[in-house]
Amino acid sequence: METLTFVLSGTLIAATPLLIAALGELVAEKAGVLNLSIEGMMALGAAIAFITVTTTGSYWLALLTGGLAAVLLAALFAAVVLFALGNQVATGLAVGILGVGLAGLIGKPYDSMTVAPMPRLPIPFLSDLPVVGRGLFDHVALVYVAPIAAVGLWWMFRHSKLGLVLRAAGESPETTHAIGYNVIAVRFLAVLFGGFMAGVAGGFISIASATLWSDGLIAGRGWIVIALVVFGTWRAERVAIGAYLFGFATIGELLVQSTGLAVPSQLLTSIPYIATIAAIALLSMDGRRVRLNAPVSLGRVYRETQ
Amino acid sequence: MKSGLLALVAGACALAMGASAHADTFKVGVLLPSPVADVGWARQQDLGREAMEKECGPDVKATVVDNVSEGPDAARVMNQMMTGGAKFIVLGSFGYMNDGLRAAKQHPDVDFIHASGYKQTKNFGTFTARNYEGFYLGGMAAAMVTKSNTIGIVAAFAVPEVVAEVDAIGLAVQKVNPDAKVKIIWLNSWFDPPKAQQAARALVSQGADVLFSLHQDTPSVVNVAEAEKVYVVNTSSDMSKYGPHSVLASVTNDWTDYFVEQCKAAREGTFKGADFRGGLAAGTVKMAAWSKDLTEEQMAKIKQAEEDIKSGKQHVFAGPIKDKDGKLRVKEGENLPDPEIFGLNWLVAGLDGSIPK
Amino acid sequence: MTRLPFIIETRTHRRPGFALIAPLVAIVVTVVAGLIIMTALGVPPLRALYFLYAAPLSSLYNFGEVLLKMTPLLLIAQALAIGFRAKVWNIGAEGQLILGAIGGSLLPIWFNDSQSTLMLPVMALIGMVFGMGWASIAAWLRTRFNANEILVTLMLNSIALQLLYYLVSGPLRDPAGFNFPQSALFPDAAMLPVLIEGTRVNASLFVGLAATVLAWFFVERSMMGYRLEVGGTAPSAARYAGFSEAQAVWLSLLIGGAAAGLVGVFEVAGPLGQLQRVVSPGYGFAAIIVAFLGGLNAVGILFAAFFMAIIFVGGDIAQTAAGVPYQVNTVLQGVLLVSYIAARLFVDYRVRRRVPPRAVEAHA
Repeated sequence: METLTFVLSGTLIAATPLLIAALGELVAEKAGVLNLSIEGMMALGAAIAFITVTTTGSYWLALLTGGLAAVLLAALFAAVVLFALGNQVATGLAVGILGVGLAGLIGKPYDSMTVAPMPRLPIPFLSDLPVVGRGLFDHVALVYVAPIAAVGLWWMFRHSKLGLVLRAAGESPETTHAIGYNVIAVRFLAVLFGGFMAGVAGGFISIASATLWSDGLIAGRGWIVIALVVFGTWRAERVAIGAYLFGFATIGELLVQSTGLAVPSQLLTSIPYIATIAAIALLSMDGRRVRLNAPVSLGRVYRETQ
Repeated sequence: MKSGLLALVAGACALAMGASAHADTFKVGVLLPSPVADVGWARQQDLGREAMEKECGPDVKATVVDNVSEGPDAARVMNQMMTGGAKFIVLGSFGYMNDGLRAAKQHPDVDFIHASGYKQTKNFGTFTARNYEGFYLGGMAAAMVTKSNTIGIVAAFAVPEVVAEVDAIGLAVQKVNPDAKVKIIWLNSWFDPPKAQQAARALVSQGADVLFSLHQDTPSVVNVAEAEKVYVVNTSSDMSKYGPHSVLASVTNDWTDYFVEQCKAAREGTFKGADFRGGLAAGTVKMAAWSKDLTEEQMAKIKQAEEDIKSGKQHVFAGPIKDKDGKLRVKEGENLPDPEIFGLNWLVAGLDGSIPK
Repeated sequence: MTRLPFIIETRTHRRPGFALIAPLVAIVVTVVAGLIIMTALGVPPLRALYFLYAAPLSSLYNFGEVLLKMTPLLLIAQALAIGFRAKVWNIGAEGQLILGAIGGSLLPIWFNDSQSTLMLPVMALIGMVFGMGWASIAAWLRTRFNANEILVTLMLNSIALQLLYYLVSGPLRDPAGFNFPQSALFPDAAMLPVLIEGTRVNASLFVGLAATVLAWFFVERSMMGYRLEVGGTAPSAARYAGFSEAQAVWLSLLIGGAAAGLVGVFEVAGPLGQLQRVVSPGYGFAAIIVAFLGGLNAVGILFAAFFMAIIFVGGDIAQTAAGVPYQVNTVLQGVLLVSYIAARLFVDYRVRRRVPPRAVEAHA
């Protein structure tokens, strides 16, 4: 494997789960709900997907069950936040912790077990190209689906009625309600979608990337996903760019070390986090841009009034 | 409501008390920093625990508490075990040192052994594996089979034990194949399988065709080696079932003899807090899963070196040894003494990397 | 589209004692959940109840452990609650704690032979300054760049950890410690005195309780506390209260940073006795849960911290005595908070049946 191949391949593998989960959270936040429980949803998805593969051998079924398990968790979050009007930050943290704990508990008999990695789907002809072939086109199908999903969501938000309704629910719930849409239902479904994506992302990590399950597998990536959505100023295409940049940053650290440069490794490990803060600061600085894109009612409790 | 609750608690107390009323059971407690899994450090410690239950004596009951964080919680778990009657406690991680020493001081009737430690008292012993001996042999094998003349090490943290292993690999490689390069990536984590995998891939992309997985408790690096069709030498447990084609060797730890011996001493009252450093000779470090790809000639050389190390004829850190900056650390004819081996913080010349400071 | 058959309106009139319903319901649900999980794991229910909730109080040592665990939660939660009431979301207590531990360790490391009685108070001060400094990064980014403090404080947690690793592996490492990543052991002058013989309870307990009293006064009785809350609840009205949003952000984050930093000092000067790689078993995050569980109210937080400490210690006991996996702890904490939040619905709001609109006759 050449260095460039590794960089391309590693970036895609690191970025894909981030992107998938971020796209899900993007939909939820566009509709006005801030779901901080992503770490827990990803963990649960990872554990359930792993167990499914170990018992049935089917990778696609595993991704499905992982997604569905996370949907259940997301439903709990949505119920508390939308019907019981719970504070979104607190509930998100609570459900997140619950998810991580449940994943560890359910997955305990499978801790540190390993599976054969999900079969790859090399794109014919393109994957035979030198260097970039293996780097870009010899991956698990989900790696190709992620950018396609990003494009799909971009189109949806820009050009479709569904996208309009979602955005309206986030920007101006009262008006949306007044013209006859059930804001609660829209948000509920948006959150469930976010949950499904997070679960699939977690499943990717356990059955395609790390090919094992262990407590703590997600290692804080759920928080990076949340940062990604802000980094991308709530636009699907920018979230995608951010995800690939982040993926590159994590690989970059390892690359620098392997070339023997004497930079303190702890500094290198910190780079993705420092980069996120810098990005957030730079992007949020332009208040107008943030206001234009951040869903106005993000995080605020919405109640139907008679 | 209040009296009902009291009755409930009292009844529960009686139940709990009655459940553990075996007067002549010898109770052992084992604290581990990570979950006991299929392979890895905790697993090998757990095998030692099994051996104790079987061979230390009749009626030996060992309790394992895993995933005990190295912070303030460790002391509580130790205390719980002692309250439950444990008379012999195995501390499976370096980070339990201070709490363990304090507990040993407060409870002179309980005996302790502590992994990777360096302080001993009357009832507090330490144990360390000379993994570097095994990795010296692994380094020889790697230098023999590498075709790209690049070897990659994925290491967890730059603690002295691990640095000693890295240095041993470096020395072996230089002796057998001076043209080969050795690259190092420090993960700065005891547990991050996806990162370990990416580190392994990074090394492969730099040309490494033999990898070393130093202290990853999961087969993550082995998986990558298998997928990328390169070799790997790993730590703690035999991982050949995860890498049937890729595992060049596994440097495994066998704590059974030592644990049983210490447990018996604790049971019979002859325990002495000593510093145990077991290597190939003591059987604490056992090479396993030697790859069939090694030729008879190569295996013979490796086995000879193994015998020489066991008998003391050859010392892994025999001089002259220069460090990366060219400074002579070990003179010709001398060996690096134990305290320095277990406090190693410099890399030998010829290694491509640096110690994270 | 269909509408829910009920509407939710704010309760304007609350009966006294009503506010206790939510925490009580949450506790009951958590106890039941604990029972269910333990039974599923094969532990007899009575033993389960005992280990989780009664054993932590069953001996002096155990009770001391509960107090030891409660103190950091209490201290940080009180400080965070003040910020949360002003809608400033400090999720970075964990990182601020680490910085406080680092700051507080400098004196005992550099003056390892000192017997000075001043050491401990100065350590505490330095630790608080370090914690505040870390938090102020987020405050500055929020006020200057409008950066979301949830994300910034979160990222700063990870960076703080790497900083700690770097320092204990190098600059602050014990030269006589065989190169292990930890500092020298602290001199006695730098250690918190144990309050109760036979336990690990130390003087930090007083600080925690004092913080509770201070927090109560600040929120209930002080003008600044009032302004802070108004500033958070209605930013446009804040100007009239004499408090800008920026001031609210700075004050909230600094208070949180100081408290977390102080707890960092207490950890290294207490149970740890040195600076090492692991200084907090997740206090920064657990304190957030405690703050909410306590209804962001000083007295409520005291009870919430106590109960959370019981769950922590009970989980450890269950692990040691009955082989119960440690994840049970995490699950129960999550259940506790979720059920509390859900139960608040009935305290804060009233659920009323929606009266179907009577058919209106169309007029031509």
